[in-house]
Order: sequence, then structure tokens, then C-alpha cells
Amino acid sequence: MYLPYRRATQFLVFGLMFVVPVLNIFEIYVITGTFYAINFGGLGVADPSVILQAIFAAGEITVPLMTAAIFPLLVAILLGRFWCGWLCPYLFVSEGIDWLRNKLCLILFRRPPKSSATIEKAFSANLTRFSFLICGTALAGAVGIPVLNYINAPAIMSAEAMMIVKERAVSLEFWFVVILLVLQLSFLPKIWCRVLCPTGSIISLFRTSVTMKVISKSRPQTTPCCKERSCLSACPMGLAPYREAGNLLCVNCGKCIDSCRFNRLQFTGFQIDDAAPVIPRQQSDS
Amino acid sequence: MSSGILDFFKRIFVNRQNPIINDYRVNRLRPPGAVDEVRFMALCIRCNRCMEVCPYNSIRRAGFSATIGTPYVIAETKACYLCMACCRLCPTGALDRNLKEPPKVKMGKAKIEPSICYSHLFLEHDVIPTESLQKIGALCNTCYNVCPLQDRAIALKDNLYPVILDGCVGCGICVERCPTRPGRAINVIPAGMGRVDEAGFYFQKAKSNYDISQSRETSPQKPLSGEGLLEQKYRIDSGGQEPKFDFPYEKPRIKGDWD
Repeated sequence: MYLPYRRATQFLVFGLMFVVPVLNIFEIYVITGTFYAINFGGLGVADPSVILQAIFAAGEITVPLMTAAIFPLLVAILLGRFWCGWLCPYLFVSEGIDWLRNKLCLILFRRPPKSSATIEKAFSANLTRFSFLICGTALAGAVGIPVLNYINAPAIMSAEAMMIVKERAVSLEFWFVVILLVLQLSFLPKIWCRVLCPTGSIISLFRTSVTMKVISKSRPQTTPCCKERSCLSACPMGLAPYREAGNLLCVNCGKCIDSCRFNRLQFTGFQIDDAAPVIPRQQSDS
Repeated sequence: MSSGILDFFKRIFVNRQNPIINDYRVNRLRPPGAVDEVRFMALCIRCNRCMEVCPYNSIRRAGFSATIGTPYVIAETKACYLCMACCRLCPTGALDRNLKEPPKVKMGKAKIEPSICYSHLFLEHDVIPTESLQKIGALCNTCYNVCPLQDRAIALKDNLYPVILDGCVGCGICVERCPTRPGRAINVIPAGMGRVDEAGFYFQKAKSNYDISQSRETSPQKPLSGEGLLEQKYRIDSGGQEPKFDFPYEKPRIKGDWD
């Protein structure tokens, strides 16, 4: 079961967004910074997409820029999109919004929502977010300002948390996040994480053979192996894990693994041997 | 003609001298150690770590403009006290990490407005500006007294009224404390605002002000110490030495009689 641990870390990160500025006010500087760039007692970590933009905007690669991006990329190589699935405050809120959307749809229209993701095909979603990242970085290089920072939702959330604690005010970007969440609630579900997020895009590019990912043992992979399609409804990124396990969109949250009653979805490195035998769909249905 | 247009576009798009990036305003400064404005806008990733560590709450987050989220010191509300805590933790080098000595900071340069400054008004135009000053009968010189780099950044000319020297780092404490309202008699012009190669569109506007501030500069004085300082202080209260007064009238040579 991964869900309780994941919720615990997500709660912790969400709470720390507000606690860290309070500690800073009392001059305890163990953790400083926002999700643009953060420092845990000396270990500097910066959002790789932000660093990429700074490199393009300034037109130079400096030592501080490189060192800031090393640690997150190391985590990305080992654990995949661990940041997105387990720490990112936006996905935490976004999951809540998706849950709310389902509930509201059931109450208002007496049926589950029609679409669970903005761009249905995972390939097109990947294509969109990578081209968004490339266009944004190119624009940053052309204009000389890291422009994607203006809309980096998780980082804005932490910066606004700091603003609320320190100055008891919110800036314009706060309303950007609110609008994004409202859009997500109404008619563009999972718009940020699935279609736009530059941080997620750049993290998912660092996938190697050692990177932890979900593998599917369902055969044949073209059709779901159980009627309820539990993994499909569980996935917070709108993937169909029985055939798209280990897609670049996957955030390693482990929800599909929890939901699969045949244990056919597993993390690489955490494989269980007593997985139910791989059975064709017709037999499992009968 | 065409080369003029080319230069214009080159200036805006290649050298990035446009109002979006070079958004200068008087008394609104970058934190100490900031690199020049074009590079700062490229390198600053708006992580707000400088804001979080500032023990005086001097650094504020910029509001709605192209610079949204980047740090500023608004000198009128809260100036920079040059503790240099922010420089060493900038993750991208938008603030110079190796800068530790406050005199080497280049945030801007203060400029005194003689038409408002109490001391200048009193001494140059013989006007006592407010009733309160009339009562206490003192010269203001607050800017000189609060300056952290006294006699290097600001000095009292003829020991009477303040002038800005080359050592001014633009921390803005004088602006924060200046008693004149609504406008301050001393203002800090941010670094880059007065320079042709950095200021861009704002240059023409800033040029006249900058020229005035340049012409008011005198050569940097060494900070007084020891006997020199003592001598200066004696001169102020005229306790030790005879002050030299220019007496504009001719002394009558012959004592006249009563009749």
C-alpha cells in the first residue's frame, strides 16, 4: 500500500510550505526557499526547468546554475517523477479537485464525468507538453526573461504561501493558480500536470534503464484485464496503466498498483513474486 | 535612416534595452550584489530566498509588471541595512555570492534635492522651512547621521550641509529617514538607471537628473579618524579652536566719539 505514505509526504510538503516561512521569521534557516529553488541545510535544489530557462535567458552556463540542478536530476534518474507524484503540492490539490469533480458530476448529472483528461491520447498529451516546454524555453531565450516561471503552478503555490505568512497578502499569481484549478474543476480536467507542466516534462526526460517505473504484466495489453478497469479510474494522470504503464506521463504514485487486485502492476525494483498468473481477459472475466 | 531603425531594433531585441526588462524607478532598488539589470532579469528565478532570509524585511516581492516576483528594496518604506545575508544564498548567481563587504555594494546612488532639503534651504536660501525646525533651531542633516558609510558616502560640506560622495552604495537608509514630506529631499537612483548602455528608454528621462547628481559630487574623502576627527568636532562646537567667520562689513578703524 503506497497511498498512506504518499498522502503523508504530500501533507508534510503542503504543511511545510506554510511552516518554513514561519521558521524563517524566527530566523531558523534550515530550509529556505520556494519550489523554484530550495535549500535544505546546505543542499541546494532547484527546479530543472527553471534552471534550463535561466541558462537560455542569460545565454551562459555558470557553476551555481549547474550545481543547483544536479540533485533533482539525480532523483529523476533513480526514482522517475517522484517529485510530481509524492511531493508536488499542485498534484495534491489537483487530486482533490478531481475527486470533487467526480462527486459534483454524480450529484448534478447522476453520472460520472465524460472525460477524465483534457487530451485523451497519452501520446498527444506528451507531444503537447514537450512542445510547450521547448516553446517556453525558446521564448525565454528570445526575451531574456525565464517566462515559464510566471506560470509554474507548484512554485507559485509555495511562493504565495510565503507571501501569505510573511506579508498577509497574495499577489496576482495566486489568482492564476485559482483560475487553473477552476478550469480543472469545470471542463479541462488534469490540464496542468498532463498537458502543460514544464517541470514534469523535463523530469520525465531523464528516464534510463535504472529508473523506477511501473510495469504491467497484463496480457494482452490492448484490453483491460478486469471489468471495473480499476487502474484506469485510479490513475491521477488519466493514463490506462494496463497498457500505458511506464508512460512518460506516469508519476510513480502507485495508485494503480494499489488498485490492481491481481498484482499485475508493479514497480521495477519492488516486484512481488506471488503475482497472480497472467491470464487472458476472457478467462478472468468468466 | 535604415541603420537608425536597425540600431533601434538591435537595442530593443538584442541588447534588451526595453521598458519590459529595464524597468527602473527611483527609490526602488535591487538587493545588494545584484548583477546588471538585463542579466538579473535573466538569472533571477524568483525563488524569493533573499526575501526569506532578510532579517529586516527589507526585500519585497515585485507586483504586477514584467518583473513580477523578483526582489526589490523599496527605500521609502524600508531600506537595505547592508547585512549581506541575501547575497551568499542566491542559487543562480543573480546576486553576487562573493560579495561580503558593504562598501563594495552598488545598488544605486543617492541624490539630494536642494530645493526641498532643510539644510540646503536654510543655508543657501536662508529659509527656515518648517515651524518645528524654527523652534529647535537645529539643522537637519539626518541623512548624514544615519548613513552607515559616513564620510565615505556622504559628507557635510563646510560641516553644514550634506553632499553625496563617490562611496555611496545606494542602500537607501537616508531616504527612509529623510523627514521631508511628501517628497523626500534625498532619493536613490538605482544602478543602471543613469547609464546609457543599461538604461535604454529610461535614459533620456534619467539623464538630466543623473547629470545634476554627477555635478554635485566632490572627490571622495577619507573617513576622518584620530586628530582629524577631533579637529572637525572642535570646529563644529568651536570649543577648542577659534572658528573663522567671514565678516562682510569693514571694521571701523577709528573709534568714534559719542557725539
